[in-house]
Parts: sequence; structure tokens; C-alpha cells
Amino acid sequence: MRGRIMLAALVWPAAASAQTAPDPAPSAQGDVAVTIYNNDLALIQDKRVLTLPAGRSRQEFADVSAAIRPETVTLGAAGTTVVEQNFDYDLLTPAKLMDKAVGQTVTLVRTNPATGIETRDSARILANNGGTVVQIGDRIEILGQYGARVIFPSLPPNLRARPTLSITLDSAAGGPRPVTLNYLSRGFGWKADYVALFDEGAGKIDVQGWITLTNSSGTGFANANTLLVAGAVGGNDDDNQNRYNYSPPRPRGNQAGTETAGREKLGDFYVYPLAGRTTIANAQTKQVSFLDVGGVPASKGYFYRNPWLGKLDEAKSVDTVLHFSSSRDGGLGDALPAGTVRVYMRDVRGAPQFIGESAIPHTPMGSRLALKTGEAFDVKILPVVEKREQISTYVWRTTMRYKLTNARPQPVTVELAQAGLDWVWAGTRIVDESEKSRRDGADEVVWQVAVPGKGEATVTATFETRY
Amino acid sequence: MIAARVSAHAISRLSRRAWHALLAVLVALTPELAHGQVVSVAPERVAVTIYRAPNRRADEELDRNWLQGYALITERRTIAIPAGRATTRLEGVAAGILPESAIITGLPSGVREKNLDADLLSPRSLYARSFGRPVTIRRIIAGKTVEEPAIIRSGPDGAAVLQTREGFIAANCTPLEESLVYDSVPAGLPAQPTLSIETDAPTASTATINLSYLAWGFDWQANYVATMRPDGQSADLFAWVTLASSDTTSFADAETMVVAGRVAREDTAPDPDEREDDDTFSSSCIGQPPPPPSPPAYAAMGGFVSGARTEEMADIIVTAQRRVSQEELGDLKLYRVPDRTTVAAMAMKQVALLNRPAVPVSIVYIARLYGDDDVNTPTIALRAVNKKERGLGLPLPAGPVAVFQSRGAANILVGEGSITDKAVGEDVEVKVAEATQVTIDVDNADSGDHWEGYVLTVRNANPYPIRFEATVDLDEADSRLQRMSATLMRKDGKRIWAVDVPANGSRTLSYRLSW
Repeated sequence: MRGRIMLAALVWPAAASAQTAPDPAPSAQGDVAVTIYNNDLALIQDKRVLTLPAGRSRQEFADVSAAIRPETVTLGAAGTTVVEQNFDYDLLTPAKLMDKAVGQTVTLVRTNPATGIETRDSARILANNGGTVVQIGDRIEILGQYGARVIFPSLPPNLRARPTLSITLDSAAGGPRPVTLNYLSRGFGWKADYVALFDEGAGKIDVQGWITLTNSSGTGFANANTLLVAGAVGGNDDDNQNRYNYSPPRPRGNQAGTETAGREKLGDFYVYPLAGRTTIANAQTKQVSFLDVGGVPASKGYFYRNPWLGKLDEAKSVDTVLHFSSSRDGGLGDALPAGTVRVYMRDVRGAPQFIGESAIPHTPMGSRLALKTGEAFDVKILPVVEKREQISTYVWRTTMRYKLTNARPQPVTVELAQAGLDWVWAGTRIVDESEKSRRDGADEVVWQVAVPGKGEATVTATFETRY
Repeated sequence: MIAARVSAHAISRLSRRAWHALLAVLVALTPELAHGQVVSVAPERVAVTIYRAPNRRADEELDRNWLQGYALITERRTIAIPAGRATTRLEGVAAGILPESAIITGLPSGVREKNLDADLLSPRSLYARSFGRPVTIRRIIAGKTVEEPAIIRSGPDGAAVLQTREGFIAANCTPLEESLVYDSVPAGLPAQPTLSIETDAPTASTATINLSYLAWGFDWQANYVATMRPDGQSADLFAWVTLASSDTTSFADAETMVVAGRVAREDTAPDPDEREDDDTFSSSCIGQPPPPPSPPAYAAMGGFVSGARTEEMADIIVTAQRRVSQEELGDLKLYRVPDRTTVAAMAMKQVALLNRPAVPVSIVYIARLYGDDDVNTPTIALRAVNKKERGLGLPLPAGPVAVFQSRGAANILVGEGSITDKAVGEDVEVKVAEATQVTIDVDNADSGDHWEGYVLTVRNANPYPIRFEATVDLDEADSRLQRMSATLMRKDGKRIWAVDVPANGSRTLSYRLSW
């Protein structure tokens, strides 16, 4: 007897878990193709086989994306024209349900709290304006919030549990045929994620590229043919928005390339088809590999950009910058869709450790990249405004001193930029400097400062400005 | 339901041996039910590398309710890969996982795709996935439980509309009177964000894979304790590595490391207290809509109230004083905890970082001089030089510094400050307290054509001499210092009046400010 109870207890969960298998509500979707853009947009093509009667009929397309843009829907079916289309996803609250029941007869179940005895009354809902007025028999009552349970005889016809598009069609002849539904949906997006393993000793990186797509549309798509377009379609008419979007300055050494990658293109965009069909579940992040190259030359550099009259009380670490190329020769040999590059290095025991990440824009093949991965613990700079004097009414002389220190045993070269030379007034020049600089555009000068191992270096420069 | 009842009934009539046979069949069948799914419950070996919160200043406290640092978690798992297309679910990953950072190596057939399912089991997903399926409405009426079968007829956004034998109702789910009871959990709703990989192998095999990913919800810092020696010229310096996790996953027996230095990150840690604040209707039968799927971190922490969480995290573990070892990692510093240890969920741990007796230090009273008669209270600063010959000479990661002085047998806290990351060779200055017995004031003694004359007086009420330094903080393009009664020294582009003030004495500096 005891064994029986124990076993019954053991078997029950197994039997219960067997019940989880059936899929509750099979999707109404047909053969689905999803094209995802970078900017919260996807084109969805859904091919379903429908049996249409001749003449006018109303067809319901359930399980369209909950984030559908209904104005973009087009429907293609042989011998059929669209009369009108409606997207119904009217969310019912209890108040709305009551609103829609005005004029109807419902059943009120009232419970005697002491005895638990239920009484049922037929009631007509007269109005629902800040409270529900009902007629029971020949008496008018106000429906208390907790006084009764309301049982509605039917549901409003446009209540949808799932996002549903309903289209009235006019078909020349009856019979089954494929119907293709095309629409745009929000709630989709993708970006690239790169894993770069940097071998500093060998001066090489291994890079893997992953496409990361997300679906927050509220609807899943099973067995979809998926295509990713590297680009944002839909022009932004508001130029100002782009113009004033702040983006932090990137290190020097980034230059866009002019090579064309051997990938499928669609106009200006590269497209990345996913192999095979895949299921894009709701609230899912999915990653698919698209790039894997090894042994690409890469180097590490140090960079610091000082703002005009920038001075510090305490020395600050300079940026560590990883340089590599996306060229066919000596580079990754591919166009890089916008995303994040995460850089790893092996520790003493050979395990890869994360050393920093950097976002990249859409990067054509042949580009030179300089990515800030972090700041160097051991290489620091202390910029100081040494002297500032007025020569004449409009002419000023500013002496800057930059002290660079290196606690590493090996010598390093720091690319030091003094920016802001074109600030307010032009005509800034260097009248004296401790080592030769290179003027790089109107706004900045650059020094390549060699700092010995476990040592320091100092650069001084006197600028003549119109302020 | 019916099938289960029949089998239980049938089972009760079987002999014991038959039971075992049946059980074996059931156990064997269970993987079949999962249909091409392999589950890896936990890693065999795990390494955790913790990075400091990217934007937390050296003097900012480690906020255990919102750890804004992160960790790189590297795991080794052995999984059986079936032939053909299959899904492997990797359970027991950190709740704060950034799925886009996940890397898997060691799969012979390669990974078709990686997925992170954030559609978790919740009242809402349970309701949504049960659309069109029977549920039970349970009511408590006059102390008696009354159950009524119903079918869910609405989606999760809006009222919970159910069909009963009598018609349609909008269920209320008042806590004491009405609730929905489900028969089973729909398939594919994990309790925690779950990473899965799709594989396509020509033959079945066993693979040892390495999984690594970044996860938010960790942080660390160095904590320095300087105990002044009676001579006032040196201090015993001790430091801890303090590391903390607010993740719900524990990493047992982990190789543990922390990384010092600033690492560039493009995003920041999600706020655990941030709740989606939209006014869409939400039925109490269905529950709140989940937080937006990206970033998925902290989703599993949603249930904690802050008070309870603090209590959970009160578990502070101080390990024996074996020190971490330091390694170079590119331009960063890596500290390795000597033995494997457990990075427990919601916990904090401390490991010794360094122990240097009798480090030469100096105590200096510092102030800033803005030129006019506006001066601040002098600050007591502790100075050291990070060089071997000065008792240090090792990278000092950022963190707070507590200064103690002995009073009889006990050590009394006399100051608290912080340092930023300090490389070897740098000067280290910690501002530890405001002075009470050293004061300064500035008198505007006289004035003339385009000049003002000032006298700065520093007074020392201590029975011992002190060192005082005033740094001139002046835009010298606007005004000039002239006729100073003492020579100012220059350091890092700034002029400093440095003077020894005798015990119970004072010193003055007179100067003119002209323009």
C-alpha cells in the first residue's frame, strides 16, 4: 500500500508534464518571409491559401504582427480585388465591455454573502456613464461594483484575442488560391555583434561576426524565411534631427573605405539572408553567424585629445585604441554592418578576457578602423595651461605643457591631439613647440609622443590665438 | 487530465516489478517528449571576471541595490549533441546575461543560431498561451470554494474575458474571491532567461563547449585601510578586493578574477527599480506586462522589494588572508583570487589585495587660494609615492581609503577618502578629512589703482608642527599675483605656497592681485 502511494506520487508529475506538449493555438500564419531592417522595421510577407467564394466576402487574417502598420498592407490574390480592410485589435477593458453591451440583456448573478445562495436575474443595460444603470424587470437599479457578476450573452463582434486584419474581397470566381499579404511592422530590429580576439604579441586579431536580431512585435513567426538588410530605410526628412544628434568623438584613424564586398546587395544595402528557415519567437533575441576571419593584422595605439585650454588636477589615463582594417588586403575583407565590437585578449593562463567594446557605424569594405577599447592603467597624461598672456588687444599666447608618464616596462607612442584651435576665431598658430607637430585640419594639431618604458615625456607648445 | 487519472488508476493494480518496468519506460520517454531538445543544467567549470561599474567614481559607494558593473562569465559544459537539427538549452546562466555577447566554442558542427528566450513563465504569458484552452475559475463564496469550468476568450492585453456555460464574463480576480486555475504550463516558457543553441550535426557526438558571456549586476572595488604609526611618518597599508554580485545565479567553485582600469562600454546597467510606467489596462488575472525584452537583465530580480534584497545581501564573506595575484591584461590589470571560490548570488566577498607595513606617508594640510578673500577650510591629506623605494611600487586600483590611528589598544577612524587608479611611479594623495585645528583666513589689507593687497594667515592650534600648502587657483590671463612675501613653488603648472607652520603658531603670506 505504501509503495503504491509513493509510486502514484512519482508517476503523476511525469503524466502531468506530458500534458505540456500540445500547442495551444496553432498560428494562422502561412508561408512567412520576414525582411528586417536596422531601424525598428520589418517587411512581412505572409502567403496563405484561402478558399474564397465568388463575389464579396470578408476574410480574416489572424496572427498578423501586433505592431503592424495597417496602412502599409497590400494583398495579392489572383482574380480578386480588395473592397476594404480593417485592422481590429480593440483591447477590451471591463468598462469597454460594458459600454458595448448597452442596450443588451445580460444575466446578473448575485450572491448572498451570508448563505452563498446565488440568484440570477435578467437585466437590460440602459447606460454606462460613470456607473452602470440597469433595468431588472420593471425596476431601475445602479449596478454596484462588487454587487453582482455580469454574464454577457455574446461578445462584441470586433473583440479579437489576437491581432487580426479583416479584409473585404471581391472575387471573380470561387475556389482555393494563394493569397499574399505584405505589410510593414515595427518591433523588429537587428545589429551586428563582433567578437575580436586580439593577440598583441603577434599583432593579429581573429574576428567573428554575429547578427543579433530581436523581435518585440508581440507576435512570433514560425519557420520564416529571414532576410536582413543592413540599412535604415525611410528617409528622415528632419535634417536637424541628424545634425544635432550628439555622438562622442571617435579616436583618430577612422577612414571609410571604397571597396565592394562580395555579398548580395540590394541597391545601396548589403543583405544577409539566413540559411534555412528559422523561428523568430516573440521577445526573443537570436544570433546567427555571418563572419569568421582569423589572423588579420591589428595594432594597439594610445590616444588623447585635449580640449582647448583643457587642464587637469590629476593625471588621466590615455585611451587604448585598436587599429585594423576591413580591406580585402590585410584586413577583414568584408563590409561590416553597424554594431558593437567586443575585444578580448588572452590572460596569462590563456583564457580570453574582455578588454572593452566600441560601437561601429555601417562600415564599407576597405575602411580603416580605430576603436577605443578602454583607458590604459599605466599610461597617463597631465595637461597643464602653463602660461596665458595677452600680447595685444586681440592676440593671446597660451603655453600648454603635457606631461606623459608610462609605468609599463616597454616604450609606447601616444598620439596627442590638441583640439579646439578653430574655436570662435580662426588664425591660431603654433609659435613654439618642443617637438614637431602635424596640423591636422583647422581644429587640431597632433604630436606622436614617444614615452620611454618606466619613464615620462613632456611636450610644450605655445599657441597664438585671436582670443 | 483524463489520461493521467486513468494511468494512475491502472498503476494501482500493478505489481511492484511492473511498476519499475513502467517507471523505466516513463523515464526513457521523458527526453522524447522534449523533442530534439538537450538540456545542460549547469557548467562543470566556471570562471568569473568582474569589472568595475564603468561610470562609478572612486569615491562613490558600491551600491548593492544596483550594481552597475558587470562580469565576464566563462563556463565549460559537456553536452550530448544528437544528429540532425537539435536545440540545446543552457540553463543556469546569469540572469543579467547580455545575449549578444555570448560566444560558444567547441561545437564540432558549429552553431546554427543562438537564442535567448525572454518570454518567461509569468501570469501574463500563462494567460496568453492558454488562449482557447479550458481553465477553472475558482470562487470563494460564503466560505465555500466553488469551481466553474471556463475557456479563455481574450488575449493578454485587456480584460480577462472567459466563456462559461452561461455566457461571457470579464473575470475580476479579486485576491480573496476569484482566481484562475490552469491545468498545465504551456511548452516553451522558461522560468529564467534561457540561452539556447540550434545545432545541426551529421552524427551524434559529445562535445565539451566553452560558453562565455557578459552579464550586468556585478561590481568590485579596492578598499584601503591605512593605520598610522605613532611616528606619524608612516602607515601600515592593507587593502581588500571587495566584489559583489546582485545576480540570482550562484557560481560555485569558480575561478574568480577582477579587472582594474577603465574598459569602454557602449551601454549601461539597467535599473532594477525601473518599472514600465504605461497606463494600459492590465487585469489582475493576467498580471503586469513584462519589462521590454531588451535589455533582458534583471528581469528575474523584479520580485524583490529593496528592503528584502538588502537583507538577502547581508551575507558578506571575508576569506582568509591569502592575497590575490596581479597579472597584466593588455593595458588593464587583472587580479586573480588564489583559490577557487563561490561567487554567491546576492552576496559580497572580500579577498586581501596587498599588505605593506610601514609605508612612508606625509600628512599635509591643503587649501585652494582663489586670489580674492575667498578661501576654503584646509583639508587634511595623506600623501605617498607609489614607488618601490617608498614602500609601494605596485598598481593601486581605485577605491576608498580609510585612515586609522591607534588609541590605546583600539584603532580609531580618523579620516576617509578615495584614490583613483594609480599607476606605479605616481604621487598618491588622499583627502581624508577637513581640518579643525588648522585654519586660514585672508585679509584684504590695502588696495590701489588696479590692485588689491591681501594677507593670508594660516594658524596651527596643534601642539606639533604641520606642513601647509595653498594652491593658487587663478586665471592668470585676467589677473596677476605680485609682490609675494614668499617664493611660490611650481608643480604641474600650478603655483603653490608651501610652508611649515610651527606648533601653536602661525605663518602669513602677503601678495598683490593686479589687473
